[in-house]
Amino acid sequence: MPRLLEAAAFLLALAAIGGVAPAAAAGGLFPFPVHEKVLANGLKVVVIPFDSPGIVAYYTVVRTGSRNEVEPGHSGFAHFFEHMMFRGTERYPAERYNDVLKALGADSNAFTTDDWTGYYIVASSAAVEKMFEIESDRFQNLRYTEAAFKKEAGAVLGEYRKNFSMPFLALFEKVQDTAYTTHTYKHTTMGFLADIEAMPTRYDYSLKFFDRFYRPENCIVLVVGDARPEATFALAEKYYGSWKRGSHVVSIPAEPPQTAAHEASVPWANPTLPYLAEAYHVPGFSTTDTALPALDLISEHLFSESGTLYKELVIDKQWVDLLQGGPDQTRDPGLFNILARVKEPDRVEEVTTRIRAALDELKTTPVAAERLAQVKSHHRYAFLMGLGTAPSVARRAAQYLQLAADVGAIDRVDDLYNRVTPAEIQAAAKRFFVPENRTRVVLAQKQEAKS
Amino acid sequence: MTGRGLLMLSLLMLGAIAVAAPAGREGGSKPALRLLASDTPIVSFRILFRTGSQDDPPGQEGITALAARTVAEGGTADLPYDEVVKRLYPMAARLGVQVDTEMTVFTGEVHRDHLQEFYRLFSGLLLAPRFDAADLERNRDLLLNQLRNSLRGNDDESLGKAVLNGALFAGHPYGHEVAGTVQALEKLSLADVKGWYRSRFHRGRLTLGLAGGYPDGFQERITSDFAALPDGDAAPPVLPAVRAPEGITITIAEKPCIATAISIGLPLNVNRSDPDFYALLLATSYLGEHRTFNGVLMNQMRGVRGLNYGDYAYAEKFREDGGSVFPASNIAQRQQFWSIWIRPLAHDNAHFALRQAVRELDRLAQRGLTAEQFETTRAFLLSYSRLWTQSLSRRLGFLLDGDFYGVAPLGEELARRLPALTLDDVNRVVRKHLQARDLHVAIVTPEGTKLLAALIADQPSPIHYQAAEGTPEAVLAEDREIERYSLKVNRTASRVVAAADLFER
Repeated sequence: MPRLLEAAAFLLALAAIGGVAPAAAAGGLFPFPVHEKVLANGLKVVVIPFDSPGIVAYYTVVRTGSRNEVEPGHSGFAHFFEHMMFRGTERYPAERYNDVLKALGADSNAFTTDDWTGYYIVASSAAVEKMFEIESDRFQNLRYTEAAFKKEAGAVLGEYRKNFSMPFLALFEKVQDTAYTTHTYKHTTMGFLADIEAMPTRYDYSLKFFDRFYRPENCIVLVVGDARPEATFALAEKYYGSWKRGSHVVSIPAEPPQTAAHEASVPWANPTLPYLAEAYHVPGFSTTDTALPALDLISEHLFSESGTLYKELVIDKQWVDLLQGGPDQTRDPGLFNILARVKEPDRVEEVTTRIRAALDELKTTPVAAERLAQVKSHHRYAFLMGLGTAPSVARRAAQYLQLAADVGAIDRVDDLYNRVTPAEIQAAAKRFFVPENRTRVVLAQKQEAKS
Repeated sequence: MTGRGLLMLSLLMLGAIAVAAPAGREGGSKPALRLLASDTPIVSFRILFRTGSQDDPPGQEGITALAARTVAEGGTADLPYDEVVKRLYPMAARLGVQVDTEMTVFTGEVHRDHLQEFYRLFSGLLLAPRFDAADLERNRDLLLNQLRNSLRGNDDESLGKAVLNGALFAGHPYGHEVAGTVQALEKLSLADVKGWYRSRFHRGRLTLGLAGGYPDGFQERITSDFAALPDGDAAPPVLPAVRAPEGITITIAEKPCIATAISIGLPLNVNRSDPDFYALLLATSYLGEHRTFNGVLMNQMRGVRGLNYGDYAYAEKFREDGGSVFPASNIAQRQQFWSIWIRPLAHDNAHFALRQAVRELDRLAQRGLTAEQFETTRAFLLSYSRLWTQSLSRRLGFLLDGDFYGVAPLGEELARRLPALTLDDVNRVVRKHLQARDLHVAIVTPEGTKLLAALIADQPSPIHYQAAEGTPEAVLAEDREIERYSLKVNRTASRVVAAADLFER
């Protein structure tokens, strides 16, 4: 069966399980109907019915992440603030809020990225009104003492400490800090350690942060699962209707073009194989430009388990035991990150040379049409196979809501992938994989630690 | 939780199960078969062998892991590894292996349109593995790197858990890492690994788990195909009794690190086959349900004092199922342990934090739960456990674990047993199985000798707040009790080891 028909059959099968009306975006990649309403205060509410009997996933998407941390000394604040959102309100102090979640038997948590902050509750659909009540309450009426604020700073420092025992945080801290000069992507979402340690002194700033970003026009409520759209919209109106619109506009400095290759190193105190990271600046998310999809297809073509570079370095030569590569999907221009763990420290330069040669080869030799079709098939099936539960559908939909405020962006971006030609892959390689656009960082064990 | 442009390698999660599962088991000369039929377009496999690292012979620690990995990430009789990968790729099918102490499970998931092609490859790997020398070396390198670098150097929380496991099960078949030891792995030959797979991954130890939208007759085909495996002895190795620690027995792994990681454990002669387990699970959830703010430990250590990122308790061996906070399946063990996980904290708070966690365990063991604590925790678990099986693959995993223990899947057992539990049941079980005197403690920290001396000296160890102002007087008063809570350390059995020397032999 041709791949396209195969995918269509898969979509129909999924829709049949759901027992729902055919997808609103018939023929698109996203197989479920999407219902939307925008309240008068600007809050967008999205409902995606999905066959998960008795279960809903309730997401609040805040379109603010570490990208918004424009003031010096405040890196990591969006993530810290995510923690503060669990410190309660007058009506639902933290303990009472937790008691409600416990009574619901809910899976509930939150996460922060460069571009957005996500809050979720997965629990019984019978409790959906209670979810609206407690979530709308904390998003409008958050209240915490300065003492509680300071205690939470300890938890955030603990999170940094737990992450720092692995090399990845230190490595990517250095990659971002080296690759960017101006844009807030210069720091990780976790933030610089000095800023995290200073957090207990930032209580007043935290009030300002809430006032700026936790506003209806900057948030989206998403309900996926055993939910009826009209009833859900009525609950949204009831609980969020009085939320006051904000006015803050953040000005994020644009990153100027890189003009020369950057190099940096991270000495590591513990035994480790060397990690080689190379990063190239690439465009931000778009629903009209094929550059980012072309780069993503390059990542599959070279770095996936069936990739040509993976076969060379991991399977045939066995110089590397971990190889990954791919572009960020971020609102502003991000990085195409390549990561290799090299088995012999002396081979770091050879591995670097081979990775660059593979990227250069893309500029001169077009990817075979058959291979490109395989890569596109994998891309499509992998997306669809990740849509098996209400939380997994919500997570995918939320990513596009934060990027474009529209689940329909999934289909528009899929259309871009379908349009990518071997010539566009060549053009993307020529445009982005050039030395002056590159940052290389090597993390390796300190010599004295070895001895 | 944070993330940047995450390429999440989450396990496939499947949707609703439209058809109630007619589960069946067939005996005789055919391998055992467990089925969960469903109308989803996905087919999920769990091919489970009752062979794990407990079977590794002395001097060959890691042979089960290396054999299973070389099979799952190798070739078939007809196709080398890179060709297998190339053929799987357009399907976006998933194929993996999980090796644990008592069992090894080969997992596969595929859209049913590709089932036949996928199954040819999947069954080819398991029934006629290629055992290329290059595949062995690639997988050996991965396991060696896991021991030499990841565990010794770069994952202090996992290191703490590994050290705790080693202390709990010293001299026991569970006592070594599933990945083995450095010296044993280095010596294993291709012939060793091939021979091990053929002698230990046989029909007698096999259960075929199949779920999802497989076509009529497929179960007969898979049963018939796997009947080609040789038969063998199904009995797992006899396990010796686990020796309980006497006093607080501390093992410190010393290494450079910016924070101290702590794990606490005690041997438990209760598992899911025992009615006491369900009462113990409830009490443990009250003390420290994994990754929630329900538990006493999380609220008192992180919430009230900001000591670290999280603090949890477990009534059995626990691992997160990838991409979720729910319990992983197919890590069942006949001999279990109870544990507390204290996430990394400032070195100068390690002594205080250990005292606080042990004191909370002590209070639970002495006082039990109140009626309200019992009722709220029971209601939580009854609802929360329903979320564990949203995916078909997880349902299948829990089903196979139920077989291991001779009970129904965990969620079903909880649904059946919790409503019948009483507060007295729970508190009786707590008194019977939990205590805070005789514990193993594993610590990862840079100045181990100094910390062990302080723990033995048992002098007050005040908390060091990042910002103390505004801390309520009641909390400060409790701090003064905690800093003096006596830990009766067994000084002769406690020791400091260099992390760099661990897992060597």
